[in-house]
Amino acid sequence: MKNRLKEVIESLIFISLEPLTLEKIKSILTEFPDGEVELAIKELLENYVSNERGIQIIQSAGGYLFSTKPEHDSWIRRLLKVERKNKLSPAALETLSAIAYHQPTTLAEISALRGVDSTHTLKTLLIKKLIKIVGRKKSPGKPLIYRTSDKFLTHFGLNSIQDLPSPEELSKILEEESILEEEDKDSQ
Amino acid sequence: MDTSASYQVKLEVFQGPLDLLLFLIRKKKIDIHDIPIATITREYLEYLNHKERINLDREAEFLLIAALLIYIKSQMLIPREKALDDDEEDPRQILVDRLLDYQKVKAASLLLREKEEEELQKWKRTFLPALYSQDEADFMEVSLFDLAESFFTLMKRKERREIKTIKGKNFSLEEKMKEIIKTLEENSFLDFLDYFSHQDSFEEALVSFFSLLELIRSKIVIALQESHFQSIKVWLRNKVPAKKS
Repeated sequence: MKNRLKEVIESLIFISLEPLTLEKIKSILTEFPDGEVELAIKELLENYVSNERGIQIIQSAGGYLFSTKPEHDSWIRRLLKVERKNKLSPAALETLSAIAYHQPTTLAEISALRGVDSTHTLKTLLIKKLIKIVGRKKSPGKPLIYRTSDKFLTHFGLNSIQDLPSPEELSKILEEESILEEEDKDSQ
Repeated sequence: MDTSASYQVKLEVFQGPLDLLLFLIRKKKIDIHDIPIATITREYLEYLNHKERINLDREAEFLLIAALLIYIKSQMLIPREKALDDDEEDPRQILVDRLLDYQKVKAASLLLREKEEEELQKWKRTFLPALYSQDEADFMEVSLFDLAESFFTLMKRKERREIKTIKGKNFSLEEKMKEIIKTLEENSFLDFLDYFSHQDSFEEALVSFFSLLELIRSKIVIALQESHFQSIKVWLRNKVPAKKS
């Protein structure tokens, strides 16, 4: 029975296009106690880690999702006849980082932080649904308040916003990157 | 040393003035907490002078930080009555705080780039539907933002036309709501853009838009879209075509 539970969960995750949350799985498998479901998921994940498989179960935006392994990318692109998936522009990425670390936040705050007017970038991010409007600030002009969305998490393969590196980790990266970046800009 | 000749860097490479400033600071291996303001200001201005023309749209922000640098420099040159003590703030502090904050954002964006690169190499089932024909429409509910965006695009389109208003007519939310429901009962759905482009005046369109929002809010109608950038259709909530599941 326990093995079957694992199989059922596997099929549920397989058929979901969006990350399937633990709560959702529990709400469907009502005939099993929560503890058993959790254990089965844990075992299922372990199976996928240890076995030699081309697909994996990843945790993304608070749920489980099947994906291929990154190292198979070039063959998959050959099959699907896709050159490369689109990356975000440096401006979009910088604006997203500002929002991610300072949310909930406003256009004025983001622009001040970047030293650049961010109206246009913010609009692009809204259209791409990487950020969302969550309300208006109770201050003069009642500016709109922005937050990152679930799509933001899936785009960067994050399970939750807490998965973002801490400020300490950031300073470490800064030291390493500064040297590379200088060389990069010199050559342009 | 002629600094302008030693770097061949375009302003476009930088995300903004703070990015340029950070670059200069790193280049000189300067401690961010103790910036030699005169040197940095000179180098920064040299970059701007390098440009033949200043594109105000893009480069006004660079000028703003230039002004800040010059201001700080002047503050530091002015003799003070008493020597700088602990109570008195270093005029450079505003700049240092901004640079430190920006530096973090910059580092985070580099990290997100790495994550993005890795994530783009993982393929999910969500990618597949785009490969097949979209005959089977799959509706998604649109947000207020989508609706407002469509509305304003349309209104802008209308604006360009010459509008002559002669008669005054009052529109009430209530009437409009009834009218929308009636149309929906007769035609099962209405096309959002289509509906608003047939409104005679801006006033009428605005009242219609608010009526529609009110109907959505009270869950009488629902606005659906097949996919992004496609037309938004409004349905009576109890007459929505069953979604294939």
